[in-house]
Amino acid sequence: MPTTRPTGPVPPAEPPLSGAPLLSVEELHLSIAGRDRAGAERTVHALDGVSLRLAPGEALGLVGESGSGKTMTALSVLGLLPPGARVTSGRVLLEGTDLAAASDQVLRRIRGEAVGVVFQDPLSSLNPTMTIGAQVAEPLLLHRDVSRAEARERAVETLRLVGLGQPGERMKNYPHQLSGGMRQRVAIAMALVCEPKLLIADEPTTALDVTTQHQILELIGELRERLGMALILVSHDLGVIARRVDRVAVMYAGKVAEQAPVARLFTSPRHRYTQALFDALPERAAGTGRPLATIPGLPPSLTRRPAGCRFAPRCAHATDVCRTEEPAPRPADDAGLHTYACFHPADPAARAAAAGAAGVVRPAEDAAACPGADADVLLGLDGVRKEYALHSGPFTRRRDRRRVSAVAGVSLTVRRGETFGIVGESGCGKSTLGRLAVGMEKPTGGSVRFEGDDLATLDRAGLRAHRRRVQLMFQDSYAAMDPRMRVGAILREPLVVQGVGDRSAQEERVRELLDEVGLERGAVHRYPHEFSGGQRQRLGLARALALAPSLVVADEPVSALDVSVQAQILNLMRDLQREKGLSYLFISHDLAVVRYLADRVGVMYLGSLVETGPAAEVFARPLHPYTRGLLETADSAVVGGAPEAEPAKGAGPLAGETPSAADPPSGCRFRTRCPLATDLCATTPPEPTAPAGEGHLVSCHFPLLPVAGRAG
Amino acid sequence: MTAEAATPTTPQPAAGEPADDDGPDATPGLARRTLAVFARNRLALLGAGLLAALLAFCFLGPLVHPTDQVHTDLDQASLAPGEAGHPLGTTDLGYDMLGRLMHGGQTSLEVGLAAGLLATLFGTVYGAVAGYFGGWADAVLMRVTDAALAIPALFLLVVVAAMVTPSKPVLILVIASVAWLSPARLIRGEALTLRSRDYVHAMRLMGGGGGRAVFRHIVPNAVGTMIVNATFQIADAILYVAYLSFLGLSIPPPAADWGSMLSSGITYTQVGYWWLIFPPGLAIVLVVAAFNFIGDGLRDAFDVRLQKN
Amino acid sequence: MTRFLLKRTGQALVVLFLVSLIVFVLLHQLPGGPARAILGPKATPEAIAHFNHLQGYDRSLPVQYGMYLKRLVTGDLGESYKLNQPVLALLTERLPKTLLLTGLSVVLAALLAIPLGVLQAVRRGRLSDYVLTGAAFVAYATPVFFLGLVLILGFAQQWPLFPAEAPQAESVGGVLAEPAGLVLPVVTMALGIIAMFSRYMRSSVLDNLGEDYVRTARSKGQSQVRVMARHVLRNALIPLAGLLGLYLPTLFSGTLVVESMFNYPGMGLLFWNAAQSNDFPVLLGVTLVVGVATVLGSLLTDIAYAVLDPRIRSVS
Repeated sequence: MPTTRPTGPVPPAEPPLSGAPLLSVEELHLSIAGRDRAGAERTVHALDGVSLRLAPGEALGLVGESGSGKTMTALSVLGLLPPGARVTSGRVLLEGTDLAAASDQVLRRIRGEAVGVVFQDPLSSLNPTMTIGAQVAEPLLLHRDVSRAEARERAVETLRLVGLGQPGERMKNYPHQLSGGMRQRVAIAMALVCEPKLLIADEPTTALDVTTQHQILELIGELRERLGMALILVSHDLGVIARRVDRVAVMYAGKVAEQAPVARLFTSPRHRYTQALFDALPERAAGTGRPLATIPGLPPSLTRRPAGCRFAPRCAHATDVCRTEEPAPRPADDAGLHTYACFHPADPAARAAAAGAAGVVRPAEDAAACPGADADVLLGLDGVRKEYALHSGPFTRRRDRRRVSAVAGVSLTVRRGETFGIVGESGCGKSTLGRLAVGMEKPTGGSVRFEGDDLATLDRAGLRAHRRRVQLMFQDSYAAMDPRMRVGAILREPLVVQGVGDRSAQEERVRELLDEVGLERGAVHRYPHEFSGGQRQRLGLARALALAPSLVVADEPVSALDVSVQAQILNLMRDLQREKGLSYLFISHDLAVVRYLADRVGVMYLGSLVETGPAAEVFARPLHPYTRGLLETADSAVVGGAPEAEPAKGAGPLAGETPSAADPPSGCRFRTRCPLATDLCATTPPEPTAPAGEGHLVSCHFPLLPVAGRAG
Repeated sequence: MTAEAATPTTPQPAAGEPADDDGPDATPGLARRTLAVFARNRLALLGAGLLAALLAFCFLGPLVHPTDQVHTDLDQASLAPGEAGHPLGTTDLGYDMLGRLMHGGQTSLEVGLAAGLLATLFGTVYGAVAGYFGGWADAVLMRVTDAALAIPALFLLVVVAAMVTPSKPVLILVIASVAWLSPARLIRGEALTLRSRDYVHAMRLMGGGGGRAVFRHIVPNAVGTMIVNATFQIADAILYVAYLSFLGLSIPPPAADWGSMLSSGITYTQVGYWWLIFPPGLAIVLVVAAFNFIGDGLRDAFDVRLQKN
Repeated sequence: MTRFLLKRTGQALVVLFLVSLIVFVLLHQLPGGPARAILGPKATPEAIAHFNHLQGYDRSLPVQYGMYLKRLVTGDLGESYKLNQPVLALLTERLPKTLLLTGLSVVLAALLAIPLGVLQAVRRGRLSDYVLTGAAFVAYATPVFFLGLVLILGFAQQWPLFPAEAPQAESVGGVLAEPAGLVLPVVTMALGIIAMFSRYMRSSVLDNLGEDYVRTARSKGQSQVRVMARHVLRNALIPLAGLLGLYLPTLFSGTLVVESMFNYPGMGLLFWNAAQSNDFPVLLGVTLVVGVATVLGSLLTDIAYAVLDPRIRSVS
């Protein structure tokens, strides 16, 4: 085996696979022994014949929905499997050594030395009671013959390499003293300190905000080139994978469905699952007015080995052969770089034509969907503020009575029948805004009006009656349902509370609701824990609709769901809106989702609404530097969007981190991260203006107008 | 359908489980599932079996093996096991040891059960009030329990017991008066978390009031914690009865309990009357262990039943 | 950290105040009132009235409580009418010996319970785990005095290895000079603590083994032993400090029983003897001191907890 390490920059994408691979996974089968809730033993066949190859210095993306086996595949390389998991057959060859059969001692020598790993949640994967310096230096002390001082020095260097400011001082910090992004940098430093040949990153940015996510992914890409190491990037997010890897393997139900160079996969996917997955992405349908293509049903349970193609039960193109015979991987091109396991592959030519045609549908449908500006105002927020005391208690000293300004003077209106989307990163106050809108919390300033009534002036009975008009759809429907109640009782509770109808009328209404959200009527006899995530969101929606409200506030309703299920829920929300003339206040961190569903959007940053306007306008011609930065930062998996050209200079992705809401910057809150900020921004908070025309408001002293308009 | 919903305003405290609703594809009710999980725990089953056996021994045993536990019989004093029809021998006052074990067990179990349940009940109400109302009420109520907990229970019990003449009801009250503290703390924490659960918020957003929150959501969800805690409280109360007896504060003879039997046996360790020591001692160990096994099994059962698949 | 300390100390002061209030209330619940308790059952009504006037017991309750607090602050805990000594003097002689017994037991218990708990966690679900779990339950269910009795029967009578009576020396040094006499009391005390701590340690280690940071540590190439020693153990031990604080009252209750069993001249024995002879000034004095010791002890363990856990240490 040649063990020389590549030193220079990696050759461009798609290195030939003819040379000796660094890593080769061959027919890997893995099962997890466990028990089901009834206590019966069961075995989950998590991986069923996975084969992958990785050349030195190459970057491979592993994509798939939850339970597809992508993480298991990655972790099996180092034998870091959860309890009960066992490789039943197959090999994992790292430079010729079979790691699947290797002793713990051999694995220990490789872990942290030849292969480094970065895990998903940077807080829980760092030891809370150990300084980050000690944690970063640890692999060196284990694998290299170095003194403590040398290890320390090397750790400082590595922390500097991953872009942690003042690494010398930071060494003494504990993980909880760092922000999420900094923690993930530390985790990367830990994985890289021994300069491994392979870095495995398991959903490294899923727990992070959009802008931080971008910074971390850029960092990983940069370091890979600098150190010449290979990369396995595991993600559920096609957008994350798109620009960062050379090749992609799409996994489904414990098997590799399709493998291809990234550009090829994004332009001409062959496996019907890959194709369906792309079609379910909200960015594909955004602004078209068309419903999202969905994948019906759920991935199969892997307790039994299904016969035939695993995707067949959900596939629109499945035939008898799909249900009985298992498709073998077949090459899509001569070079053998693109393989797929499908009997009835998609035709790339037909697909391109369809994609072209889709764009044309847009204008007519869009106009019909978007209610006119004169539609009556349902919800009106006027200068709404919400502050929380940071520390409270009878003995709190005066100077400690600092307050967190969660929402700082937000004004917006939601009209009847429209969807108003609120986008922003975590901690921007969007969830608080949602709770204020439904009246779950009282504002500390400003007013919330519903159909003209100021909520603050409503008496008990008035407020109780008001509850019928606005309902909240929770992010985690499971937490929002009493685990001890059956679904029948849960769905009937709003009717019982409001005294709507008698018992049989209520039961009839529950059946209606279940029909509307596409669940079986038998669901009334079950408990919430028996449903999947998507089904629970359906239940959550059904309960929110029980009282026939005119406005539903939906707080991140699809953020916990897989792409294919997310599409089902988004379509359902959209269909029900058309049927019932509902309004939504839709809160999400996901730009693509908001873009797909919302008629108008508001962008929030650190408690203030920096920009509002029609969705198409705001996304196409953002006026606020933050909106612009957010849009450019987001990794989207649009058609052909693989290795796209980087955006023009001057308007790069957002740098830095959001300041604390307990101590927001003076003047414009975004100024500390704004490339255009001047002294004016530090002294005067900007008022909303409409420099680009009616209906598109921006709170910025220097809005991003087309070049000529800037001076005026 | 579920019975309780017909009368939504009438709370049904402990009967939190919706009545089983045997629709064609209904999943079994939670109570049944809890039992199923419990039944798979071997230690818990052992505990339940032990407890059943001990209860039968103490309360049904005298029917099979009737003895006089009121009048002393010094002619028959301190007989070794097996002598003159006394399978476990006799005490220094001539009581049949086996019969006395049954007799004493009744006191230990009755006082333990009653004190444990009373303590749980009072502690639950106290803790629920503190946790649900929060703020100042909570701060005051909790400092009081902190202070009472700071004085070791046994010291407090001895002082109190020294002031009064022990009888069954007095013992029950005295033990409950120190034992309510830990359930109070526990339930307070539970109430604090439960009231901020999303499903309570959701119900509030439908226009529901505090009563519904407490009786339809908070109490039924805290029932598991209460039941588990009650079993541990009973175990502790039985130990307290024994400790008080050992410290010389028991119900005066001819009444007996396992603790007082054991402490009067201590006098005879030098002369080797082992049958005066081991039977009551082991009985205490067995019954307390049984309750702890049951409590442990119940805790697991209540935890597991709501887990997602 | 400063905020935490201030807050915690403030709480402790409030609790101390309430402890004194509870003891004061108990004092007034005594049969015949404090006068009868102090002057003895044979006192005449005149003597009682005189005493009550002298002590201010005929004043209003708040005033009395103020006086009581004032006496406490000056160290006046009353006088034992059985031993004819000030309660404070009795306590200053006895308390150190009780603390010695408790300290030795806790140290012995920790030394055994920590490795046992780790062993159980590592061998979870195997025979050794079941056996140790069962043993811990049984040890927990065993009344301390029954355990002490069994130990005396076994190791003082059947095999006379250790004396059944504890050292009777006046000073702590004197007690330590007879280590053989300490063996049985300390072991009796320690067994219950071992049961408690090892159960706790087992679940604490299991919780930590399931944490992501353990997987990270393994991903660096550390051996299981090293992961346990460097990462898990520390995190699992920190909460044990907090547990010790909560467990203090139970510990003191234990000393009451153990000291009276082995005739160990500590505070527990003093208390027990006082209970036998209705020596209420001693009973209440000891109760107060034990309460104060518990409050201060749990304050100390909380501070230790905060010092050990960087997450608490660095918060404001």
